[in-house]
Amino acid sequence: MIPARPARRSLTRWFCLAVSGLTALAFAGMVALFAFESLPVWRHAGFEYLRGHQWFFRAQRFGALPMVYGTLAVSALALLLAAPVGLGSAVFVAEILPARLRLPAKTAIELLAGIPSVVYGLLGVLLLRGWMLRVLAPFEPLSGDTLATGGVLLAVMILPTVVTLGDDALRGVARSQRQAARALGLTRAETIVRVSLPQALPGLVAALLLALGRALGETIAVFLVIGRQDNQWPEHLLSPASLAAAGQTLTTKLGGSETHIAYGDPLHWAAMVALALVLAILVASVTLAGTWLGRPRLAGAASANLPSPAGGDPGDPHA
Amino acid sequence: MRRLFDRAFTLLVVSAGLLALMLFVAIAGYLAWRGLGAVDLDFLTQPSRGAGAEGGVRYQLLGTLILIATALAAAVPPALGIGIYRGVYLTRPQARRRVSLLLFVANGVPSILYGIFGLAVFGQLLGWGKSWLAGGLLLGMMILPTLTLAFAERVDAIPKKYLEAAAGLGLRRAQIVRAVILPQSLGGLVSGALLGLARAAGETAPILFIAAVFSGATVPHGIVESPVLALPYHIFVLAQDSFQPEAETHLWAAAAVLLGVVLVFALVALPLRIRLHEEAHHG
Repeated sequence: MIPARPARRSLTRWFCLAVSGLTALAFAGMVALFAFESLPVWRHAGFEYLRGHQWFFRAQRFGALPMVYGTLAVSALALLLAAPVGLGSAVFVAEILPARLRLPAKTAIELLAGIPSVVYGLLGVLLLRGWMLRVLAPFEPLSGDTLATGGVLLAVMILPTVVTLGDDALRGVARSQRQAARALGLTRAETIVRVSLPQALPGLVAALLLALGRALGETIAVFLVIGRQDNQWPEHLLSPASLAAAGQTLTTKLGGSETHIAYGDPLHWAAMVALALVLAILVASVTLAGTWLGRPRLAGAASANLPSPAGGDPGDPHA
Repeated sequence: MRRLFDRAFTLLVVSAGLLALMLFVAIAGYLAWRGLGAVDLDFLTQPSRGAGAEGGVRYQLLGTLILIATALAAAVPPALGIGIYRGVYLTRPQARRRVSLLLFVANGVPSILYGIFGLAVFGQLLGWGKSWLAGGLLLGMMILPTLTLAFAERVDAIPKKYLEAAAGLGLRRAQIVRAVILPQSLGGLVSGALLGLARAAGETAPILFIAAVFSGATVPHGIVESPVLALPYHIFVLAQDSFQPEAETHLWAAAAVLLGVVLVFALVALPLRIRLHEEAHHG
């Protein structure tokens, strides 16, 4: 990049290499540790670990499917609720809001991402739980701690991701395209629906995928409102009634006291670490898919959770 | 018909936008209403009493400050190193994109995984028990991608002619780094660091197993078996109890203080960060 005289021995270069290597080592070590320490349970249960419905650690039966289901159900509901509001807000911020109001509006939305998940959890415990109990009354839930409660809470938490990345995708559509559409006599709504949205589509889908990645991995807030009921396997998957029951996700299982219990027993510990491995693979695939799809337009959010990709975009007409 | 569609569409979009904008105001306002009444100097400077639900949050606040200071100290050097290596020494655009992609994936790692990883490394492997240093290092690892990406974005945005001018003066790469790149991109590192601090202050999952306790810790001495109290963990534990009304006031107050700490960092960082980002990408 820099047309400079090369240096043989540079302290700066040595330092950069050293810390980069250390960081790579730490993250690779994390993945390797999850893979390695979960080996006993793969040997013990094999594929049954991913297919089994029952988790009774005293009987050494480890079936992770209910937790995978819980994670997917809660995240799907969150995405279903956050997508229309989030994409609508993205259109509002990118296409309708006057330029001088953009900065305050984007700040307010990103601040939503800054609220700690334990605060969301507290709001869930003291407010949302009682409210959900009334809303879900037709399905006769045993308490306000349900998968649906977790999904609603998560929807608020991932909303800023959808809005910020969606806004970026929409702003990536060339201004001239909009002007041409308006000049042809299309109304603002028609311009957005016929021109902006189709062109920004990959970026919008990427925004949803990255929001999904966040939902899959969220722990503390969901932990406090989901009831943490093991071995929940509904008769009808994703039916409203099944969402009105308590459940368990990969993260809430990992965050619970069973992690401490498992600590001393290699097989039980392996079963817990395997949950971490499954979660890591799930989140990494969704993040990779979202990043790939959003490239190169996905200019990224300013939020702490989703900072911008650092790569400059040579193809960006606005750059 | 077309006008009707235009009106209806605009109405829908505006209401979605207003809903999203109102959410933060509503949440922050509610917390302030329920909690701020109980927050005074005593609340911030007195240790908690009783079962932890009375008195102040002195050591919870101190513990959180210790954790985030450690996290920052752990994350800044690697963020600098990776950002510079990526921007200066990696010459192929493809290689740089690959580093960015890795940073993205690292940035998406769920926080509970750091907790499990920490338990295995600091607990099982090193035998530290519960330690503030373990928590700080894990939080540092968690915010590292945020810092690095924010810094690297600014490094990429430095005008080429600055670098060419410096090279034309005969500077070596390391000299260019010190004379041009660092001064030009520190803003990105600072805003990234503030956002990282905001996130580290509020996270519970990484410190759950390995750093935080609910009571019985004050100022940590040493490393092994020296846990800290922490605000998010305090709220997390109390929120699980079925509590009395007085505890609820304490809980709201603690949550208001935590949100205050986070907002101090985020409110400084966000406008700066959003503006830099828009300049870089949407000119």
